[in-house]
Amino acid sequence: MTLQDQPSAQHQIAEERTEAAQVALVGTGSLQQRLSEETANPTHEQQPFEERLHHALEDENLPRALGRFAPSWRESRQNVFAVEENDYGSEYSFPSLRSRLRTAKDYAIEHQPELVAQFKRQAEAAGAIVYEARTAEEANRYIYELCHRKGIDLVVKSKTMASEETELNAYLEERGITAVETDLGEWVAQLNHERPSHMVMPIIHKTRQQVGTILTNATGREISREDVAEQVSVIRVEHRKSFLSAGMGISGANALIAENGTVMMMTNEGNGRLVTSLPPVHVVMAGYDKLIGTFADAMTQVRLLARSATAQPITSYNTFLTGPATPDKEMHIVLIDNGRSEMRADPRFKDALRCIRCAACANICPPYQQVGGHAFGYIYSGAIGLVVTPFHHGLEADAGPQSLCVSCNACETVCPVEIPLPSLILDVRRRVVEKKGLHWIKKIVFWLMAHPRLFGVFTRLTSMGQWPITHGSQYIRARNFGLLGKLPFVKPLVSLASWRSLPAFAPTPLRDRVKKHEISYSLKGETSSRSLNLTVCYFAGCMTDRLYPEMGEAVINILEAAGARVVFPQQQSCCGLIALNSGDRRDGLTMAKQTITMLEQALEKNRADYILSASTSCVVTIVQDYLKLFEDMHEEGWLKRTQALAEKVVDFTGFMRRVVLPGNVALPVRQPGSDTVITYHDSCQSCNCLGLRSEARDILQQVLNVEVHEMPQSDVCCGFGGSTSIEHQAVAERLLKNKLKNAESTGATILVSDNPGCLMHLRGGVDVSGRPIQVMHLAQLLAEHLQ
Amino acid sequence: MMISQDLFARFQQRLTAAGGEYHLVEKLEDAADVIVTHSALEEQRLVVPPKFSERYPWGALLPLLEAKNIRIEEAQSSASVADAPAGLSHAELAVAETGSVLLAENSLEARVVSMLTLTHFVLVRADDLAAVLDTVGERLQQLTRVGPDQRHYISLVTGPSRTADIERTLTIGVQGPKALCVLFVKDWKAQP
Repeated sequence: MTLQDQPSAQHQIAEERTEAAQVALVGTGSLQQRLSEETANPTHEQQPFEERLHHALEDENLPRALGRFAPSWRESRQNVFAVEENDYGSEYSFPSLRSRLRTAKDYAIEHQPELVAQFKRQAEAAGAIVYEARTAEEANRYIYELCHRKGIDLVVKSKTMASEETELNAYLEERGITAVETDLGEWVAQLNHERPSHMVMPIIHKTRQQVGTILTNATGREISREDVAEQVSVIRVEHRKSFLSAGMGISGANALIAENGTVMMMTNEGNGRLVTSLPPVHVVMAGYDKLIGTFADAMTQVRLLARSATAQPITSYNTFLTGPATPDKEMHIVLIDNGRSEMRADPRFKDALRCIRCAACANICPPYQQVGGHAFGYIYSGAIGLVVTPFHHGLEADAGPQSLCVSCNACETVCPVEIPLPSLILDVRRRVVEKKGLHWIKKIVFWLMAHPRLFGVFTRLTSMGQWPITHGSQYIRARNFGLLGKLPFVKPLVSLASWRSLPAFAPTPLRDRVKKHEISYSLKGETSSRSLNLTVCYFAGCMTDRLYPEMGEAVINILEAAGARVVFPQQQSCCGLIALNSGDRRDGLTMAKQTITMLEQALEKNRADYILSASTSCVVTIVQDYLKLFEDMHEEGWLKRTQALAEKVVDFTGFMRRVVLPGNVALPVRQPGSDTVITYHDSCQSCNCLGLRSEARDILQQVLNVEVHEMPQSDVCCGFGGSTSIEHQAVAERLLKNKLKNAESTGATILVSDNPGCLMHLRGGVDVSGRPIQVMHLAQLLAEHLQ
Repeated sequence: MMISQDLFARFQQRLTAAGGEYHLVEKLEDAADVIVTHSALEEQRLVVPPKFSERYPWGALLPLLEAKNIRIEEAQSSASVADAPAGLSHAELAVAETGSVLLAENSLEARVVSMLTLTHFVLVRADDLAAVLDTVGERLQQLTRVGPDQRHYISLVTGPSRTADIERTLTIGVQGPKALCVLFVKDWKAQP
C-alpha cells in the first residue's frame, strides 16, 4: 500500500516524460539479474538498535525531510476531515468515522473465527485458495513451494508490510527466486538494501540526490539527481518487462471483507493492479487483523485510511478482488498469524489488531520526526510499531525503539481506530523493564521517591550542598562544574546540563513556605470577593514543591484571590508518574497508593470541593493512569477509590476556565505592559490527554486582556518526555531547540505553559541559549499581575 | 430521473483535485467530439475492450469515432495495450463524494485498457452518479456476490496514477495512466 499526497500549492506537479514511456517495451537488459546479484548478500539482518539510532542521528537529511513533511501533513489532514464534515455533516467527522471503524474492527476481532470461516467459504467459492499460516516461516515456505512447484523464478510485488514482517524477499532470494518490488519507494529501498522507514512512504528519509544515485547505479545509465519526474519515469521503463514476464505477483491487502470473500487493496501508483492482474499466479499476504465484516465497514475504512495517511481524500486505486482475476489465473490468500493470536488473547493488546496501517501515529510523532522509522520501530515503525513488534519479532527487538517514546500521547489523538497507543507502549516498556531491569540511577531515584520522608531529607540535604554546582542560582549549569566535572561519575551530569541547565533544589520547599505564610495567604483571600464559596485541596506535585515553590505560591495566590479556601496537605509527595512512565510499576504502585490515601484523607478532613493540581501531568496520572494501573493489577478496591477521587480532581487551567471565569469573580489584576509579548506552549498532557486547547487563551484574554501570539506547532512536544530526555538527550535537545525557535519566532518576551515538567525543560533550554525570554506557569503570569 | 447539478459539481471538483478531467455531455455524439478533439487522440488511435461494439449503450459510439477517422483497436494482450496513447472503457458507477469511477471488468484484456494506456477515457451514464461511498459499498456487495455474474476484479479509480515517494513531490503518471478523462452522458438512451 502506498498512499500519497493530494496536489497542493507546495507540491510541484511534474509531468512524466513521455519518451521514457515509449521505450517501455524495449526493456533495459536484465534488471532481474542485477537485482539478484546485488541481493546475493542481502542485508536483511537488522543492525543493533544503537547503531540504527546512531546512523539516524548522524543523517542530516532525515530530520529535514521529516520535519518538512510533518507540519504540512498535520494541516492537510485536519483540512481534509473538516471538508468532509462541512459537506456531509457530523456523521462524517473524524470522531464519528473513527468510532464507526473502531466498532467494526472490534466486532471483527471479537468474531474472528466466524469471519475467517465466512471469508474462506466465500473466497473459495469464488475460486481462491486460502492458506492459514501460523508463523512467518510457514507463510514464506508456502509461497516458496508454490514458486518451486510452478518453476517460477521471478516474482513481482506491490507494497505489502506483511511480507516485510515475514522477511519474504530474503527468504525467496536465499532460495534462488528474485522478488522485484514495484512500488517506487519500496523499489528504491530494495535497491539500496534498506527496509522501508515508514509504512506508507518507504523512502521518506531519502533526498532526490540519493534516489538519483541509487537509480543510476541500478540501471547502469545516468539518471538525474534533481529531476524527480525523470526518476519516477525510470520505474515504468524498468518494471514493464518484469510485469510481463513474472510468474507470480504478490500483494498485500488493506482489508479482507468477509461477507463476499473480497480482498481490498489501496494504491496510488497503479503497480498494484498490474501485480495482481498480469502474472498467472497472484498471492495475497495478509494478517488476520485485516478481516472486516462488510463492504459498508470497508467504505468507512476507505474514508479514514488515505485521509489519515497522507491527507488524500481517497487513493487513486481502491481495488476489490473476489477470487482469481480471470478464470485461467490462480489466487492464493495467505492468512498470517505470527503473534496475532497472542495479541487477540491479551485484553489490552487486542486493541492493536484494529490497526489499518495508516502511519498517522508516525507522522505526528515528535521523536519519529527526529530519528525516522529505522530507529523508531523495528520492521513496523511509528507508535504502532512499538506496540506490535514484541508479538511479531520478540520483546528484544523492541527494547531499544520503545525507549524513544516521549509519552506525549499525540498518536492517540490521530489514530483512526482509537488504539490506546501511549498506554500500550508503556505496557511494552514495563515488560522490557521487567525483563532487563531498570538503569541503576533510575532504580535509586524511584525507590527514594517512593519513600517520601527519605526523599524529603534527600532534597533538603541536596539543596544545602548544591552550592558548588549552582553558585547560588536556580540552575545547575555545565560551566559551574569546573574541575569537578572531570570526575567520571559527575561527567554524565555535566553532559545532561550542557544543553539544558538543570534546576536547583529550592532552599525552602513549598511545603515549608506554606506553613510560614499561612496567614498571608488567607489574608489575600479575604481581600477579594468571596463569590467562590468553596475549598480547594492543592496537590502541588513534587517538582513544584521541591524545585519551583514560587510556582505553587502563585497558584495559591490566584485561588485565594478568586475567593477559594486553599488547603495544602503536608503528607503529599510524588504521584509516581516518573516511575510509571519508566516502566517501574512496583515503585509507581507504591506512590499511587500513597497519593490516593493522602488525597482521600485531605478531602475528608477539609471537606474540600476539589483537588487541584497545576501540573497537568500529575492530573493525568491520577485521573487516567491510576485507573489503568489498578485495572491491570485487578485491584478492584483501589480502582473504585480512584474513580471516586478522580471526579474531584481538576487541573489549574481547566478550573480557572470552567469554575472561576463563569463565577464572575473579578480578579484584582492590572494589565501587562504593551511591550509584553506572550506565547503559549501546549503541554502534551494538557492538550492530548485533557483536551485543553483554547482554555488558557480564554483565561489570558478574559483576565489579563491579552492575546497570545501563537507559535507554530504550539502543541508539539518540547522534548522533556520524563526520563526520555535523560536516555535520549540528542532527541530531547532537538525537540527543545525546535520549540524554542518556534517560540522565539513570535517575538515573545514570555513563554507560558501549565505543566512544570515542560517549564523545567524550557527554562533550562532558555538558560543555556541565553534567549531573552521568561518562562513561566500560567498561574505565575496571572499572579504577577495581581494588584 | 432527477439529476442534481450539485452532485456533478462536487464530482468535478473532486476529480479535478485528483488530477482528472471531467466532461458532462448531452449525447453520445458530444462524447465522440470530446474524445476526437482530445490531445491523446493525435495518433487517431483508440484501444477499447474486446467486443466493446456490442455493449449497450456505448457500442454505438464506435461508428461515430470511426467516422472521424479514429482507428479503433480491440485490446488483444497486455503487451499490445501497454503505453497505447488512448483507451476507452466504461464505469458501472461514479461517486461524487470522492470523484471516483467504479470499473468492473472481468476480462484481463478489458481491464488493461484502464491500466496500461496513457490516457484513459471512461464513459458513465449520468444517472449512475451516486452521492456517497455508501452506494459504492452496496453496489460492490451485489457485484461480488457468488454466481455467474460475479465480478472478480473491481477498481474504484480516482484520477490518474500518482506518486509522491520522492521528497513528497507529487508526480502524475507512474505505472498506470497519466490522464483520466471521465465523460458523463446525460441522454445515453438516444442512440445516434
